[in-house]
Amino acid sequence: MSKRATGSSILTANRLSDGRAVFLDFEGAWNESIDVALVARASQEIAELEARGAFDAAQNLVVEPYLVEVRETEGRLMPVRQRERVRAGGPSVLDDVPGYAAPETARVPLAERRTDRVLEEAA
Amino acid sequence: MYRYDEFDAAFVRQRVAQFRDQVERRTSGELTEDEFRPLRLMNGVYLQLHAYMLRIAIPYGTLSSRQMRKLAHIARTYDRGTGHFTTRQNLQFNWPKLTEIPDILDELAEVEMHAIQTSGNCIRNVTADHFAGATGDEVADPRPYAEIIRQWSSLHPEFSFLPRKFKVAVIASEHDRAAMQLHDIGLHLKRLQDGRLGFAVYVGGGMGRTPFVAKKIRDELPEEDLLSYLEAILRVYNLQGRRDNKFKARIKILIHEAGIEAIRAEVEEEWQRIRGGALKLPAEEIARIAAYFKPPGFETRPAKAALRPADRAFDRWVTRNTHVHKQPGYAIVTVSLKPIGGVPGDASAAQMDAVADIAERYSFDEVRVTHEQNLVLPHVSLGDLWEVYRALKEADLAESNAGLATDIIACPGLDYCALANARSIPIAQRISERLAPRQDEIGDLKIKISGCINACGHHHVGHIGILGVEKRGEEHYQLLLGGSGAEDAAIGNITGPGFGPDGIVDAVEKVVDRYLELRSGPDEPFLAAYGRLGAAPFKEALYVAA
Repeated sequence: MSKRATGSSILTANRLSDGRAVFLDFEGAWNESIDVALVARASQEIAELEARGAFDAAQNLVVEPYLVEVRETEGRLMPVRQRERVRAGGPSVLDDVPGYAAPETARVPLAERRTDRVLEEAA
Repeated sequence: MYRYDEFDAAFVRQRVAQFRDQVERRTSGELTEDEFRPLRLMNGVYLQLHAYMLRIAIPYGTLSSRQMRKLAHIARTYDRGTGHFTTRQNLQFNWPKLTEIPDILDELAEVEMHAIQTSGNCIRNVTADHFAGATGDEVADPRPYAEIIRQWSSLHPEFSFLPRKFKVAVIASEHDRAAMQLHDIGLHLKRLQDGRLGFAVYVGGGMGRTPFVAKKIRDELPEEDLLSYLEAILRVYNLQGRRDNKFKARIKILIHEAGIEAIRAEVEEEWQRIRGGALKLPAEEIARIAAYFKPPGFETRPAKAALRPADRAFDRWVTRNTHVHKQPGYAIVTVSLKPIGGVPGDASAAQMDAVADIAERYSFDEVRVTHEQNLVLPHVSLGDLWEVYRALKEADLAESNAGLATDIIACPGLDYCALANARSIPIAQRISERLAPRQDEIGDLKIKISGCINACGHHHVGHIGILGVEKRGEEHYQLLLGGSGAEDAAIGNITGPGFGPDGIVDAVEKVVDRYLELRSGPDEPFLAAYGRLGAAPFKEALYVAA
């Protein structure tokens, strides 16, 4: 995990099976929505997120986990870097891509997304 | 077109089976990501910003209708209904699932396609003039030589782990439509002084972080010596290219640091050692490969008397999007993938199917992909142009802008690419919308946009180039002027301080306005005017004028 954040941070990665950008949510699952990402504010919490990312990568759930620095604005999470904002929001041009077909729901049911592991276990 | 023989077919099938096993071992945890990454990259699978991306090789940009239909099928079945044609004459799918990629590769193998060597530090997909075999200004079709190079370089045991990736382009015309001089090796097929076919060989071109126009390393190379000479160049590079610094590992850096004379001497020495050996190309083998590319059965067909019905849009399309064919009565048609305000290079599955149908009916079953992210129907009878135009229009593919200011190259940029620093596509869309009303007045103009210094959008060689960078976490854009990827290849110059996402569109318009103001007349293209005037009046327009 080479990209270390210093402020409020969330943990992101790509899901191994389909490569989709995912965020560790407050229930301990990897979720495609940044809105439910677990925010670490203290250094110990950030270290725990990092450890969780390394653990889940070793478990082959996700690939290349790293921390993303975010601002918390009006109850929403906004990455500081534009790169991460695009990554969280998806391509900004999809409305103009000819023939683009959004995946149906594409969301795996919450029960299947959740893992039984918790932060303490990873740490 | 080239057809796989039994060896080719078995080789590709075997490779798919190997990759299927590798994916299974990765998902089961038997392989770590560090172990798997080089394996997936060698099969064209990248992990991008939002998902995996699969890059499919289209050798020398030539496709049959059957192959195009297969790409449409894959887009519809495994992706999200769309595909992206690239500046390497390849196709990229942006949303494949890793677990389904072996199935995609199996489907591709059915139509003699694959994704081998579309990534990694190896010899990549060989590109060629997209008008090859159709244009009258070539000495011969360059694609047989590109195919010979493809066969020689596929899984070449000595060159599978080069210091860095290696790109080869082949042209056979004085008009360079393949950015040949911006490749690691550029080959210009020509008549030698003794009248035989042979090559001028260029080496060390490239864009990226350190752009260089290639230098000519040999003016006359007999065609029989093509592979031995390429092997000699690759050997010198493989031994001497830097492996300690990825940013200095391309052959262009070796040429720059050692000097072309020194490298030429070493290449010649190695070449003389291996010249008469196993790599000498027998005339029969060249003829055997060339037979796959023999011209289709052209008919002597007079153009219809009413070639251009009273339809101004059709007339404009014929003017902009057709090119003179070597066969009287035929034309080369450029199918623009640059709708005004659209995404450069993207095509829907339905559009791919439409092009396949049109090519099958009107272009001897053949389609080309251009490095400018358009498609080409290489052999269309003049008498069929109206029908072709109407069919393309039905598929929203009849934009009449080939070579104009809205025919913009743009890499995927930050919308998709994990390496990008800034978005390219939205900038291209807004420039396209801004300049569209005046594009005929502006005339030929090549605008090229990259979202990072790797220069997939060829910004260095745009008449107007745009480079996206990251500045304090936000998108920022540098402007370059005066580049060219054609026979007058040149690297553009940065104008000065960059611009924000809004300012860059205004900046391009200011440059265009100043060009229109100062050109000697409509016949003086942008690049000529820039060469005559220099950068000063354009910088004044950008940074001084109110």
